Amino acid sequence: MIEVNERIDVPAPPDEVWKILSNPRDVVDCVPGATLGEAHEDGTLDAAVVVKFGPAKVTFKAVVGMELDEATKTGQVSSKGKDNQGGTRFNAKMNFGVVDQPPGSAIDIKATVEITGRLASLVEGGAKLVVKYMTNEFSKRLAERVSAETAK
Amino acid sequence: MKVYERLAEAFKAEGTKHIFGMMGDGNMYWMHALAKLGVTKFEVRHEGAGLGMADGFARVTRTPGVATATCGPGVSQLATALLTASRARSPLVAFVGEHPMGDDEYNQQLKVEIFAAACETGFVRVKTPDSVDDMVRKAFYRARVESRPIMLSAPMDVQQKPFDDDEPYVPSTQVLTRGLIMPNPAALDKAVEIISNSKKPVIIVGRGAKWANAGDAVKKLAERTGAVIATTLMAKTWLNEDEFHVGVSGTYGTRTSMKLFEESDCVIAVGASLNQFTTEHGYLYPNAKFVHLDTQTHVIMGNGRGADCYVQTDARTGVEALESALAKRNFKATGYRTGEVRERLANAWEDRTQFDLDPGTVDPRLVITALDDVIPDTISLNTGSGATAGFSNILFRKQRPNVLAGHFYGCIGQMLPAAMGAIVATGNKPLVLVDGDASVMMHLAEFETAVRYNQPLLVVVMNNEMLGAEYYKLDVHKMDAEQSCITTPDLGAVAVAFGGRGKLARSVEDVRKAAAEWVAKPGPMMIDVRISRSVIPLPYRRIHYGKDE
Repeated sequence: MIEVNERIDVPAPPDEVWKILSNPRDVVDCVPGATLGEAHEDGTLDAAVVVKFGPAKVTFKAVVGMELDEATKTGQVSSKGKDNQGGTRFNAKMNFGVVDQPPGSAIDIKATVEITGRLASLVEGGAKLVVKYMTNEFSKRLAERVSAETAK
Repeated sequence: MKVYERLAEAFKAEGTKHIFGMMGDGNMYWMHALAKLGVTKFEVRHEGAGLGMADGFARVTRTPGVATATCGPGVSQLATALLTASRARSPLVAFVGEHPMGDDEYNQQLKVEIFAAACETGFVRVKTPDSVDDMVRKAFYRARVESRPIMLSAPMDVQQKPFDDDEPYVPSTQVLTRGLIMPNPAALDKAVEIISNSKKPVIIVGRGAKWANAGDAVKKLAERTGAVIATTLMAKTWLNEDEFHVGVSGTYGTRTSMKLFEESDCVIAVGASLNQFTTEHGYLYPNAKFVHLDTQTHVIMGNGRGADCYVQTDARTGVEALESALAKRNFKATGYRTGEVRERLANAWEDRTQFDLDPGTVDPRLVITALDDVIPDTISLNTGSGATAGFSNILFRKQRPNVLAGHFYGCIGQMLPAAMGAIVATGNKPLVLVDGDASVMMHLAEFETAVRYNQPLLVVVMNNEMLGAEYYKLDVHKMDAEQSCITTPDLGAVAVAFGGRGKLARSVEDVRKAAAEWVAKPGPMMIDVRISRSVIPLPYRRIHYGKDE
């Protein structure tokens, strides 16, 4: 089990940040290596994400679901997927919340990622760092997107 | 004559010219008889090392290596070496004494059958004088056919019984007649179909292709199909005279090769099991169809699947058949064989990451490249396993008569005996072993054996005074990596004390000088090179540190 615990600072008020975070397309767009697919009637989205674990480049096909609470500005993104060869599966849950941090906001992210199957042995070492890198990239892109949106 | 004398005669008739092991009262009569028959023996300091030598011998000759140990404690010393030999698929016959039948209270008794089975070793017992010939023949037959270690156990009391037969012993080679395995025509057709529809083929060759002498056929096929050639770790550097040779397929490969593999639409594997290491669980070749040539009935690859087309065949016969079938169709493709790929391969092996070195140490990468430069390509190379294999298995690039990595069973310590056995197999030709400090220390006493037999062996110890694999793994988990550190003495001085030559090296110049000295006058020598802990092996950077290079 890989655990992620991050706080991202963004130079925009909570309402602006929430606008972006409550849009699944915007959120998935910030995940490095991810591309979006079709939306389903139940609100879930198809997505693909390419992750490099050392020399192994894995393309995961996933289904992403999102639950939002506008009042508290918190949300949960869950996604489950497996690779093209059916050799590795992942199950990720991310809880996020936007808090006031004048002059801007902060986004608290708590996530767990479970990887099983052929690459499970990598989870002990490198995979944790790969997920950490992806989280940092995600934070960076999210902050950039928020800044760009608020500048408009 | 006695049973033990007939046993010795039978071994000699099977072609045994060397035996490796340690004498005890369970095998000493047999050893004595063999010596009288002119068979050379190598007395080691630990029975496991004796079997390791027989293993190293068999890896070169592909004929049964013979090791020996006495009953009980002699046999149990063989455990790790037997498992290593089993994983290396080496044909071995281990002659072991056994406690007298009917004396279960014997001090040195051991449940040998169970022990052998746990060590992935076949088991044959000489129960009666009448069965001697049959049992020896069976042991050698099984070693040849199953290509793994077979334990031939002879209870001490049975060995002393009279043997009354002057009929000559019939060796297993006379009983075992087999020709080459020919490819199934329908399977071949399917393979040709897949290959002729591919634009970017990769040919992966393993030890099986080397053993079958399929080299020329593979190069011809590569030219016709526009394929790049990659090897498994075990066949490292083989065929690299080909311009489009990309090195090892797997974590010990270059970033350039991995990018090329990603583009591939067809993999032709020859005499390689395509296990999870060669293909990184299949992820190295996300877009390729697989054509798999091997002598086994079938092989499941490291991605858990069988090939799109599996052909059971002798490697050389199969590859030649493919090439000529494609020639008949006038199939010729450029594939990967372009100027652009040539350029990409030109600097593929550069490891550009910089590290600050610990004081008084050398960058291990520079040690390997210096050795590869100083040691001429007429001299064979064995690399050990362990963390420092991450340097030697990538950076040694010269093709040599034998280049063999030592990753079988994932253990350390076994490569020194294997290197010593390999030297015997080549008729005492010089050989270099590059191994880690914990690995060499494990069977250090056998260096004295190498001195005693005046073997032209250079042992280069990549010495970071630690269990490297554990050090980096602890480091990644932000735990106390110092717990994996163990000091060693000056191993160059130890080698001299053992009667050989030795040097302690703290600079690349030291290494070059000492290695050049050895090349000029090969003999048993050890170079203790103090390498920096700060330089993380590239495979670990990839797997444990989540880096790309």
